[in-house]
Amino acid sequence: MTSRSTATSVAVAGSDARGRGWRRYRSSTFYLFASPWIFGFVLLTIVPIGFALGTSFTNYDGQSPIWRFVGLRNYIEIFTSDPEIWASLVRTLAYVVIAVPLSVGGGLFLAVLVNRRIRARGVVRAIFFVPSVVPIVAVAIMWRLIFNRDAGLLNGILEFFGGPDQTTWLADPYAFYALIVMTLWGLGGGMIVILASLQDVPVELEEAAKIDGASSWRVFRSITVPMISPILYFQVITGIIASLQVLVQPMLLAETNNLSTASNIPQSTTLYMVQVYKEFFLYNRFGYGTAMLWVFFVFVLALTLILQRLSKRFVFYQVAVDQD
Amino acid sequence: MSTTVNSAVGAITPPLVDESPTATPRRPRRRYDPSANRAGIGVYAAVVIAAAIFLVPFLYIVLVALATPAQVSGGAFSLLQFDPQWQNFVEAVTRINWLHYAKNSLFLSVIVSVLTTFSSALVGFAFARLRGRGKNALFTIILATMMIPSIATLIPTYILFARLGLVNTYWPWVLWGIAGTPYLIFLFRQFFTAIPLELEDAAIMDGAGWWRIFWQVFLPLSRPMILTSLILTFTWTWGDYLAPALLLNYNNTTLAVATSIGYLDPRGSGIITLQSAGALIYILPVIVIFLFTQRYFMGSGISSGVKG
Repeated sequence: MTSRSTATSVAVAGSDARGRGWRRYRSSTFYLFASPWIFGFVLLTIVPIGFALGTSFTNYDGQSPIWRFVGLRNYIEIFTSDPEIWASLVRTLAYVVIAVPLSVGGGLFLAVLVNRRIRARGVVRAIFFVPSVVPIVAVAIMWRLIFNRDAGLLNGILEFFGGPDQTTWLADPYAFYALIVMTLWGLGGGMIVILASLQDVPVELEEAAKIDGASSWRVFRSITVPMISPILYFQVITGIIASLQVLVQPMLLAETNNLSTASNIPQSTTLYMVQVYKEFFLYNRFGYGTAMLWVFFVFVLALTLILQRLSKRFVFYQVAVDQD
Repeated sequence: MSTTVNSAVGAITPPLVDESPTATPRRPRRRYDPSANRAGIGVYAAVVIAAAIFLVPFLYIVLVALATPAQVSGGAFSLLQFDPQWQNFVEAVTRINWLHYAKNSLFLSVIVSVLTTFSSALVGFAFARLRGRGKNALFTIILATMMIPSIATLIPTYILFARLGLVNTYWPWVLWGIAGTPYLIFLFRQFFTAIPLELEDAAIMDGAGWWRIFWQVFLPLSRPMILTSLILTFTWTWGDYLAPALLLNYNNTTLAVATSIGYLDPRGSGIITLQSAGALIYILPVIVIFLFTQRYFMGSGISSGVKG
């Protein structure tokens, strides 16, 4: 950090010597080079979100040119008279609370495993990692096969051991757990990131602790985990935000996955975004749907800020975060 | 990479402890053993069980993809009477207009990955090496947009594009590509920040403008980052389901959508064997790409940028 900032100040001094014209050239080049993102941010983020905000005060249905402003009515309905939304929100939170710790914890566990000196380490790492890059459409097809009522592997195994046969796993109430299992299959992506950070933990620290007589578990708990806590924290944050907006997974895991029939999604996997999707494309309530999006948007923003605050308590940063 | 170094150090370092005879530890100390990092039977058991669990969906879909419809309706155990139906794969690419959808997927993935990588590198360079008023504020916005739920923007974007008549065209993907991706901008910026200033100063002394510095000095140096970016964007686009499902008609869509809803029997329910065969063909490019470029992802390639 220090070496970098001195380097920067040297550069500033150097470029100052080149004069005002140079600085103006550099500044205009900055905007020129950054313009693709600025353009995209305005056109593809600000405009849609702003448009959604405007729409959320109307009763627009997506097709008819006749619509009118209804003020805050959509928001009032969300907060006072729509139990389905709250049920879907509770399901979403349950999904986050179950899936995120299991994903990060499982990723950490696998990362520690494949960080050991084992045979065929590359192959093992690939086996854990590849599921996380398989496109979601294929992932859903695979897990629909496993959970299939008649031809499914799970029912086959249960039958073999004399368990209950012909359970419809992809219907209520089991679909929720099927969704979580499918999510956990992809935890290898997190494993890779955690693995990379494990390899950056200074080996002297761990060895010094071992020389002092610390057990492997103690070394792991008191040195390894604190050292990689920024990465774990990053995983938790991105995991929470990704899990809150899960939509495609329940859609594709539902037995019939025709786009127009979002009504086939079981209730137990009707998470918040699925509910939003239904409002849009099943009931054509675009105004109401955009209001739901905005409520969600503010919720995620607030949550991110809270987590940011909390992180200062327990995340150990080796160097100051370079956020510029 | 670094583990091999670590373990080498561990092997060379002689045991330094418990050499002084006067040391009388109060509680029994475990001897420091440099080979303790070597895996025991418990680790192997855990690895084998976990690997088996992760492999099951792959093995099972292969079984189903090679099965007859009768085997599928006969349940999981009739699949074990192995009688591979290779023609399932032939039928998977002939029953739907497979080549057309594959071409669409390939076209969109290439367009988006090239545009996104170029834009993200350019913007990342601006934030790493250039100065302008409001730069820090803009960078904070980039970091913040990584946290904006993408679906919260996708549905309104769809409504907007529908009104602009951009639905069922490939323009949305071109626009997304030009805009770059906050995550990749961030990674490129981290990458460029680490390149020594002397290189840039030398180029400036030689009279190069910023464009030449970017194009001839920085880009050639960032080949691993460019490759990472191309691979990530390509596979994201190849695997994306929601955007093509919302924005493209069925006869103009990508392989993701076609694989998911294309294999139907006359009654409208999915043909499981063909769906499985189609899914296997569909994921093949992604898996091949990742297996060939493993080293980048197994090293610190993608993660180094997000380190706190």
